[in-house]
Amino acid sequence: MPRGARYARHRPNPRRSANFISQPTHRPCVAPLPPLQLLPMASITGSAVSFARPVKALNINSVSFSGLRKDNVAFPLQTAPQRFAVCCYAKKETVDKVCDIVKKQLALADEQEVCAASKFQDLGADSLDTVEIVMGLEEAFGISVEESSAQSIATVEDAANLIDDLVAAGKS
Amino acid sequence: MPLPPPQPPPTPRTPGVAGGRLFASLQLPPPLQSRSEVHVWYLLPDELNDASQLKMYMELLSPSERKTALSMNGEKLQKGAVLSRALVRTTLSRYTECKIDPRSFEFKKNKFGKPEILWQSDDVRMECPLHFNISHTSSLIACGITMGTPIGIDIEEKKRKTAKSILSLARRYFTPPEVDYLAKIPDPEAQQKEFIKLWTLKEAYVKALGRGFSGAPFNKFSIMLAAKNGIRISVDSNSSCDSLSENWQFALAELNSSHYMAACIEDDSRTSGSGNGQLSLGLKVWKTIPFVEDTLVSGTEAVKLIC
Repeated sequence: MPRGARYARHRPNPRRSANFISQPTHRPCVAPLPPLQLLPMASITGSAVSFARPVKALNINSVSFSGLRKDNVAFPLQTAPQRFAVCCYAKKETVDKVCDIVKKQLALADEQEVCAASKFQDLGADSLDTVEIVMGLEEAFGISVEESSAQSIATVEDAANLIDDLVAAGKS
Repeated sequence: MPLPPPQPPPTPRTPGVAGGRLFASLQLPPPLQSRSEVHVWYLLPDELNDASQLKMYMELLSPSERKTALSMNGEKLQKGAVLSRALVRTTLSRYTECKIDPRSFEFKKNKFGKPEILWQSDDVRMECPLHFNISHTSSLIACGITMGTPIGIDIEEKKRKTAKSILSLARRYFTPPEVDYLAKIPDPEAQQKEFIKLWTLKEAYVKALGRGFSGAPFNKFSIMLAAKNGIRISVDSNSSCDSLSENWQFALAELNSSHYMAACIEDDSRTSGSGNGQLSLGLKVWKTIPFVEDTLVSGTEAVKLIC
């Protein structure tokens, strides 16, 4: 088995079996997206993940947020503006790279969609997955993510936004 | 164990489907005798494939729980989410002597996001507060329950492979003594198993504390496993986390031959000043298919206590 392979990791089959209650498994990735203050922790599987998603706003006090905001407006949006709400200012290549890392970590099937709006918890990431994803992002982008920031990441775009902020802060 | 003869259904707290299996009584467990007793109920999602049964479990959920479950990505995750909530609700109902219908429970989150029961003002169990915590993997979902003490429980597949190397993960997230402990293990498989054990114990502590991952960072406290002394926790004295406490007791067991399970509850004996060491945590474990079959598995091969 290749080193990175996940033991007994289920690859969800979009072609559903007759067993479970019929629900569409294809979920288009569309805006509008909620503002950047965070989604409350899911009531269901949250207990399995010790990362609580606080209901307060994203805490990135290691980064000068207001200063970056102004600069980021100058970044050309590389995707259609309607697709992302104003809150997702991360570069498309950051989002794509995060999606890649997440898909690999969770051993998702190719046809499974992961996009900016995807919630880690909905993708089945548990706490060990999440820390591995954070480590993967740190390595890929050359950044260091604090516990408090990591805890506030609920979606792919949360991660991408944080990465772009940290990368920019690292350069300045 | 066979189900007891049907008892008259408990008075429903909310309108629901009358008659039939929905009011079949859940088997009552022995009551929690003390604050150091932990009862764990677990189910195996792969055994639960009957569509009508799953539909019944689905009906126990609140509308928002149903919505959240169905927003999970893919059928298996959706099923896992439904079973998680059904397990919590049915387990809690058992410990109110089935006086409270599984569907009636309401939940809230503490300010760090830990789920708790929201008791109605007329609830009989308010004086003896139940605490619960759940954990799940794709192949096993467990719910731990105590009376009067916060609990954290975490399970993990024994053979869980990590994408990163064990030592790189440990260096990034664990304390130096824990890294040393792992580094000394020559066999990679044994090292991986010890990592998973430490991981579940640390998770269980953080979940028991209920302050979230950043409220109790993994690198601020060490867990030590020793055959004689059992499981000990020590908090980094240099850390700025004054709120981390050491008066917690742990249990670590191998469940179903496939998983490690760690449970953590507050150590009453130390806070009350009586006794100098840890009371042993009394653990009882049931394997369940709610409304169908319950099997007491503690004391059998299905539950092997490690520490």
